[in-house]
Amino acid sequence: MSQSTTIMPGGGISRRPLHLIVLADCSGSMRGEKMQALNFAIAEMLPNLAAWEQEQEMAQVLVRVVAFADVPRWHIAEPVPVGQLRWKPLQQVEGGRTNMGPAFRMVAEALSPGRLEQRALQPALLLVTDGLPTDPPGQFEAGLAALLALPAGRAAVRLAVAIGRDANSEALHDFIGDPKVPVLVADSTDQIADRLATASIALSRMSEAGVDRGALASSLLGSAGGAGRAPAGDAGIV
Amino acid sequence: MEPYAWQLATASVRGASHVAASLPNQDAVGWRGEPATAGATPLAVAVADGHGDPRHFRSERGARLAVDVACELAANLGARIAGADATGSAWLQLWVEVLPAILDGWRSAVAEDLARHPFSAEEAAGRYSGEDAVVAYGSTLLLALLVGRRLLLAQIGDGDILAVRADGVTLTPVPSDPSIHGRYTTSLCQTDALSSFRVASLDLDHEPVVMLVLATDGFGNAQTLERWYERVGADLLALTRERGLAWVERQVPVWAGRSASAGGSGDDTTLALLAVDDARP
Repeated sequence: MSQSTTIMPGGGISRRPLHLIVLADCSGSMRGEKMQALNFAIAEMLPNLAAWEQEQEMAQVLVRVVAFADVPRWHIAEPVPVGQLRWKPLQQVEGGRTNMGPAFRMVAEALSPGRLEQRALQPALLLVTDGLPTDPPGQFEAGLAALLALPAGRAAVRLAVAIGRDANSEALHDFIGDPKVPVLVADSTDQIADRLATASIALSRMSEAGVDRGALASSLLGSAGGAGRAPAGDAGIV
Repeated sequence: MEPYAWQLATASVRGASHVAASLPNQDAVGWRGEPATAGATPLAVAVADGHGDPRHFRSERGARLAVDVACELAANLGARIAGADATGSAWLQLWVEVLPAILDGWRSAVAEDLARHPFSAEEAAGRYSGEDAVVAYGSTLLLALLVGRRLLLAQIGDGDILAVRADGVTLTPVPSDPSIHGRYTTSLCQTDALSSFRVASLDLDHEPVVMLVLATDGFGNAQTLERWYERVGADLLALTRERGLAWVERQVPVWAGRSASAGGSGDDTTLALLAVDDARP
């Protein structure tokens, strides 16, 4: 983080924090090649994000990771500057289910009022999963509602990567909450790294000044395995 | 009490992210009146921050118009009410009553600009169906009117107004707005803009303010400390005592530039610093 060294009132300046939280599916079905591919993909994505951080003019990227199965847990609990992060592989939970609702609640807790810097850019959330949510009835919706009830949760740039076409569920579209933004689908484990790279570019670019998020999502994601659903009316951003 | 002499320094710097995105500086700053005689004659100062979203593609003009209209109407109000023997609430009432005129004046100025410069085909294609044309000019506005020993403040949208007392305590007189966060701000272009104005009135005989800072959010968003404003006020006062007001005034463009740089917020940054000329004890 660059700090002001000249005399300037206020105790120093620095770039605005951009919090990226990855929600990684570690359920039983992620065993073997999928989990290896996901770990490789995240490890590949981080230098790309660090390079973007160097190139652009406003944000410092801070990364956290939630690993979820039956229950969520913080894989990286404290925000780590992306350039300093050394990836520690995720582990699949044997027989673990794909309960997303509690993971959303865990992220909501991290984004609750007073937990982010006032000057932080809108956070970025990236959900990666190979399956449909297996939450007990109502829990997925309740968890997502808790996240979206927060100003930071609503404002967050939210993207989802589905590993396998079957994972491209209505639930992922609900998580994204923007009909212009498709789910990124990796049809094979070979494509996971490519999809995460695309997602990271989209997440970072959508945080830049003067960006038309909808147009950017269409141009970046529509040709990269994006699978959308019918668009609704335009949402206004002042 | 005799009115004080004031000094005004302003700067507006295009943000590094705007340079990278080939966007103009969408901030504006302006004033009406003579700072050196501001204690005896009204002085209006304003900054504005045109929204960066592509939906507000003429926001730099909206910000310029906002500053011009607000300063003119506020200065006119100041001339009418100078010398008034009013209570605090009466001052605030007079102040609140000028806000609808500022909004109407801004909308009229936008309409005139649009009549002279209609939307191009490219601009028109970027508009949402049925959207009010003023949305293209969307901007914040931070306004101060100094009349004798009364300081009247109004704000819509993000940015910061800091009032530094002689004892180093920094006041943020305008109430905060919880609806402003991250990418979202209130705006002159919203249909219910009047209800989003926040106002304050300070009696300088009771609150001995010696410095006033009006800043677009590029300044505060560059500051690392969470309660940066407290430190800014104390530092400004200390720097003025150590190096003199003239030095501080010369630094205003430097500070705006550092805030707007890639090491700061990267956003357009505009500062207006109004200071009592004899801030040094």
